[in-house]
Amino acid sequence: MLEANALAKSYNGTTALHPLNLSIEPGEIFCLLGANGAGKTTTINLFLNFIPPTAGTAKIGGLDVVQQPLESKRLLAYIPEQVMLYKNLTGIENLEYFTSLARGSHTKAELLGFLEEAGLARADADKRVAAYSKGMRQKVGIAIAIAKKARALLLDEPTSGLDPKASNEFSELLKKLSGQGAAILMATHDLFRAKETGTRVGIMKHGHLVAQYATSELGHADLERIYLEHMHD
Amino acid sequence: MLGTLMKYEWRNLSADRAPLAVALVLGAAIAYGAFNGSGWVRFQRGAISEALSEERERLHGLRTEIPAVESGSKTVSAFADPRLPQSLGRSMGTRYAVMPPAALGSLAIGQSDLYPYYFRVSTSSKETFINNDEIENPVHLLAGRFDLAFVFLYLYPLVILAFSYNIVSAEKESGTLALTLSQPVSLSRVVLAKILPRALFVLALSVLLSVVGVIIGGADLAAEGALWRLLLWAGVTAAYGAFWFALAIAVNALGRGSATNAMMLADAWLLLVIVIPSVLNVAVKAAYPVPSRVELIQAIRVAGDESTRQGSQLLARYLEDHPELAPPSSKPGGPPDFGTLQVAVNEATERKVQPVLAAFDAQLANQQRMVDRFRYLSPAIVAQAAFNDLAGSSAHRYQHFLTQVGAFHGQWREFFVPRILKKEKLSAADLDKLPAFTFREEATAAVTGRVAVAFAGLLIPLLLAGASALTALRRYPVAG
Amino acid sequence: MILRIARKEMTEMVRDGRFRAAGAIVFTLLAGALLLGWQHYREVSAQHAAAQKATRDQWLRQGKKNPHSAAHYGVYAFKPKVPLTMVDRGTDPYTGVAVWLEAHKQNEFKYRPAQDATAVQRFGELTGATVLQLLVPLLIVLLTFNAFSGERELGTLRQLRSLGVSQTDLARGKALGVAGALGLLLVPAALIGVVALTAASGQTDMIASAPRMAWMTLSYLLYFAAFVGISLAVSASAPSSRSALIVLLGFWMFNGLIAPRAASDIAKAVRPAPSAFQFAQGIGKALQGDGHNSASARGKRLEAELLKKYNVDKVEALPITLTGARLQDGEEHGNQVFDAAYSDLWKTFGEQEGVHRAVSVFAPALAVRSTSMAFAGADFPQHAHFAQAAEEYRRMIQRVMNEDIMKNAGSTGVYMAGGDLWRKVPPFSYTAPDAGWVLARQSPSLAILALWCAAAGVAAMWASRRVQVY
Repeated sequence: MLEANALAKSYNGTTALHPLNLSIEPGEIFCLLGANGAGKTTTINLFLNFIPPTAGTAKIGGLDVVQQPLESKRLLAYIPEQVMLYKNLTGIENLEYFTSLARGSHTKAELLGFLEEAGLARADADKRVAAYSKGMRQKVGIAIAIAKKARALLLDEPTSGLDPKASNEFSELLKKLSGQGAAILMATHDLFRAKETGTRVGIMKHGHLVAQYATSELGHADLERIYLEHMHD
Repeated sequence: MLGTLMKYEWRNLSADRAPLAVALVLGAAIAYGAFNGSGWVRFQRGAISEALSEERERLHGLRTEIPAVESGSKTVSAFADPRLPQSLGRSMGTRYAVMPPAALGSLAIGQSDLYPYYFRVSTSSKETFINNDEIENPVHLLAGRFDLAFVFLYLYPLVILAFSYNIVSAEKESGTLALTLSQPVSLSRVVLAKILPRALFVLALSVLLSVVGVIIGGADLAAEGALWRLLLWAGVTAAYGAFWFALAIAVNALGRGSATNAMMLADAWLLLVIVIPSVLNVAVKAAYPVPSRVELIQAIRVAGDESTRQGSQLLARYLEDHPELAPPSSKPGGPPDFGTLQVAVNEATERKVQPVLAAFDAQLANQQRMVDRFRYLSPAIVAQAAFNDLAGSSAHRYQHFLTQVGAFHGQWREFFVPRILKKEKLSAADLDKLPAFTFREEATAAVTGRVAVAFAGLLIPLLLAGASALTALRRYPVAG
Repeated sequence: MILRIARKEMTEMVRDGRFRAAGAIVFTLLAGALLLGWQHYREVSAQHAAAQKATRDQWLRQGKKNPHSAAHYGVYAFKPKVPLTMVDRGTDPYTGVAVWLEAHKQNEFKYRPAQDATAVQRFGELTGATVLQLLVPLLIVLLTFNAFSGERELGTLRQLRSLGVSQTDLARGKALGVAGALGLLLVPAALIGVVALTAASGQTDMIASAPRMAWMTLSYLLYFAAFVGISLAVSASAPSSRSALIVLLGFWMFNGLIAPRAASDIAKAVRPAPSAFQFAQGIGKALQGDGHNSASARGKRLEAELLKKYNVDKVEALPITLTGARLQDGEEHGNQVFDAAYSDLWKTFGEQEGVHRAVSVFAPALAVRSTSMAFAGADFPQHAHFAQAAEEYRRMIQRVMNEDIMKNAGSTGVYMAGGDLWRKVPPFSYTAPDAGWVLARQSPSLAILALWCAAAGVAAMWASRRVQVY
């Protein structure tokens, strides 16, 4: 579903991403770990075609994101670190706006349904987004993904700033979505969540994917130890 | 989908109360501008009607005075004898040639406060009556007027820029752009959806308010060509506004922050509306300096002196050229009277001065041609010319008027000069035969032609800005 | 402390690419405008001087003719150019360049240079004055709009405060820094201006120009200082750099573009001037007179007076030629009419300028425009001063001609005079009013500028004390 083939990116001689080969199947949750500036966000931006690759290709559902930007976006949903919405509109209005951009048209009932599935309280749906907490805004982001029936999800530091309960709710949602067949790429610092939710983890350092593991093979303590070993030097 | 986008864009805009602020500022400025423009038109009409009624009264008075002098009940000196064609033609019976303000004159005061709009035509040379400048404090002429043209040339672009300088950068800075562009929608479409409600709002508001202002100010929309000019004017305003919107998008498309955008657009406004026009002004005057009027005065004096010195010789030559005008041969010899001599002297002086005046006109035409060529450097210059043309406040219309005045001057002389030379005396009945001036407005086609060129001058930068905007949007740095 | 801050500010500004670009443009425009003004001054000055000489020659070489014909022939007076008009052409493009001094009529000045230009002229002339009055304030705004708000947004304001730097010292340092940066531009430009002035005028002219230059410089310095103060005050009070910029740009627009035009409209509404037609009609009617002021009534009065004066009982016995006396009497009646009409008109213009001054309390651009034009010698009162001098010369010519007729014309035949009489009329010489004359009239505007400067300074100090540090 999500495929990177020798995907690379440099800026004026500095390499942000060395040629990356990565493949994420439907139902997988791949957690990308690494320090700030390791290349996690660059990878996600390349999949989103927010930046053009210097070499290689990124494909979503077999569609090249550069050659077919609009079609490939139909298949994916993106939840940035800070889900910024239009503060003067309500949650449900924001949802309607973004889903209409995605060529969807849903009734109010359907939209409310999506928000409920994403875990947003019915009463909050009609409040202006300016009053939302980070967790609530994130749920709207998920609702968009649900409404789009996205086949691939790109998440950038989704649990940063969430309290443990919200973080847990979020993990459950992710598992549900991947159970429904979505391929999920998640960049995160949260080692605990990565082990809890992810099917595979990858460690990025200075633009290289230096290691990949299946989470079933690792314990929590192992993950941290391996991470720190790679981060050394 | 475009409809939904536009709907939500409008919702966001209204929440910020930006459209309200825009409406208030533009509305106040347009109302004030229309008020001033109408005031000027009213002033011109007032001055014209005063002049014409003075002329009517004077001629009416002559109708009784001439019979009184004929019958001997009133005695007058030779210079004030209303029966003599030289007195009547030179001062007592002179008529006004007036150019009333055009139907849409309140749109732009333009050059109309600098050039005279009525002349008292007499048999003397044109130079004696052609400098009929209107009284105005020169500081006011220097500062310019707050008319609708000012509002649209200077303030309207600023309102547009203030309304759209952060059209993309604000979304990027607030973070909503990333979520938007992760949907299957191109940035160009999003930008289009954002700009259309703003553009439609501003353009519709401006045109509507101005039409209302112009009507309230008393414009005669039933006059020939008035509605067509109004339509053209709306078109020019729309094209000019569209250019500034396109420029705002192009600058946004470069991907810089809102503050940088604001700075760049303010610089562009300064350059296009203030710097380039004044630089073009000096360039034109440096390239084609108009001959000194001071030297014109000298040339006229010298020519006049020569001709006066040659006096009767000139008269003899003049009569040789125009034998049909010679006095009846019952009065041969004898010194020619003042009036008769004046005719010949005037004619000779004017012939000598003609090349000097022609040099003036030629240089002015050269200046105008250079301006016409370089005006495409700034849409403001193009728009100003179009506004002046549509309001009838341009130098073109003034030249058109001057040509007609020249022709009328010729007619006036043709009526009087033969009678002067034949030493005829006029009667009250002849007063009805005096030539009268009616101003023929410029053909609408001529004005349309010039405005069409202005459209081209506005569309080209608009398309350039639009094209660069679209290309840059495709490469917009959504991240970083 | 203040100097250290000022030095850092100046270094920052000079290294900033935007200041370099904007500064370079302003400097080029200013230098270009000064050079163009110099060239224009040289040309026009020479033309006017040559024309004044030529018209004098024409007067002297009239040959033999009746003095009254000579009076009708008249002379032209050409407005001399003052060297400082290189910097500020003021209203010169909109006032006529020459006036015909003939018998019986006080004429209007003819040929406004702006009429011989295209419509682009109305966008504004590129002179030193427009650059100094419009563009330099904009540069000041661009340099200082984020003086405080920018530092707050960067976080450095907090750090400065934690070091114990007083806010007012900071304000003063920033003001000095801006002044230094501007000085880099303006001092060389001023030098160019002074060189051009020296080259254009002789030594005596330079001595006369020096005080005017000094006052003009003072008014511009007050204006710039006011803008620095306003920008600093707004920067310190505004919640963000963006809102500071918007407010300052709005003020710049209002001050430089809207207020001058609005002031014209208000002045015209409050103190309207007559139309040319009404003015001419008024003069015409007054000249004709009516009742006991009519031509015939005056003629009879004159005869009675002369008979009494020369103690004769018949007009034919008068030792002077009656026509001469009649002509002079007519002239004097006309002079009264013209004086009344023109003083009324000039009073109206003066009242309009009073309205402009009132508006300048809200928009200092109007005050500096007024002082700059006045000290450059290109405002309306100085045009009227010249017009008055020319008119007095005209009246002198008439008097000389008419007195000659009275004495020498005799009662029969046609009397002709020659070069002796023409030479009796001295050549027209005009001295422009000195700086003191201008200062007396411009002290209200200067005071307004000084008030603006002081108020801006106070506002800046007050706002900087209250600035939100984070």
